[in-house]
Amino acid sequence: MGFLIWLEEGALGIFIRESLWGYPIVLSSHAVGMAIVMGVVIALNLRVLGYAKDISILAYDKLFIIGWIGFIINLISGLILFCNTPTTYFFQGSFQLKIGSIVLGGILMKVVMNSVRGNTSETMTKVASAACIACWFGAMITGRLMAYL
Amino acid sequence: MDYDTYAPLASWFESTWLGGQMREQFWMFPMMETIHFIGITFLFGSLLVIDMRVIGFGRFINMKAAMKYIPVAIIAFAVNLSTGIAFLCADPFRYFPNIAFQWKMGLIVIAGINALWFWFGEHKELSQLADGEDAPFRAKVIAALSLAIWVGVIIFGRMIPYVEY
Repeated sequence: MGFLIWLEEGALGIFIRESLWGYPIVLSSHAVGMAIVMGVVIALNLRVLGYAKDISILAYDKLFIIGWIGFIINLISGLILFCNTPTTYFFQGSFQLKIGSIVLGGILMKVVMNSVRGNTSETMTKVASAACIACWFGAMITGRLMAYL
Repeated sequence: MDYDTYAPLASWFESTWLGGQMREQFWMFPMMETIHFIGITFLFGSLLVIDMRVIGFGRFINMKAAMKYIPVAIIAFAVNLSTGIAFLCADPFRYFPNIAFQWKMGLIVIAGINALWFWFGEHKELSQLADGEDAPFRAKVIAALSLAIWVGVIIFGRMIPYVEY
């Protein structure tokens, strides 16, 4: 709790609360980052689930780099947004679910890519892929609901 | 925009059944917002595959197969157009005079023209590219514009609540 208060009272917390354009600019970056990360996750998992089969899954490697750029944008913008009211967010159920979904979605993305490169059965790969999409959707739904709950 | 110009249209939007539902059911607005967000990720993800292939960053993606993401993008756009109309019906007098909303709509029109140019001007030639083959410079410009415009759409969309007066 001490750490959360320190964050809230720190320079980033003050900036995001008091600067006129700070909050909307960081929030917009978070939306752009989301479109990039989620876009890559969805496009890739659609392919793993059997859509656009003529594309080699390994050809998506380059898109992964773009996905990581989006992820870093959102990690940074997310941390700054968190400093707005960390003492509230930290205990908010929708926020906790969002972070949990992102961690799980990230692990599942790794599982999917390992299955694609290894010799895991196609069914297992698709199950992991569907679960991966579900987690990232979960992150978006809970993220949006943070504004309401 | 001048109030007298948009007021009749805005009143009509406001009077629709959808507008009433959006205002009366507390869960409608957040649900539509969430769908709108999921829609943009499908749209932007599809564009990333197609446009990055054309730009040359994901050059080993099969170009013809990448075009299969076009229907995904179109469906996602239709979903976002529908959910977007729902927001508009909920509170049209808030959106019409909103400068971020106006820019967003303008950019979407430009994105549409850019997409038509891609489809009618470049699509055929691009479909014949071999894996790893470079796209013509003109096509790369269209692809880069497409991504830049949609980033702009996302930014202006997110700015709508913050530029109200």
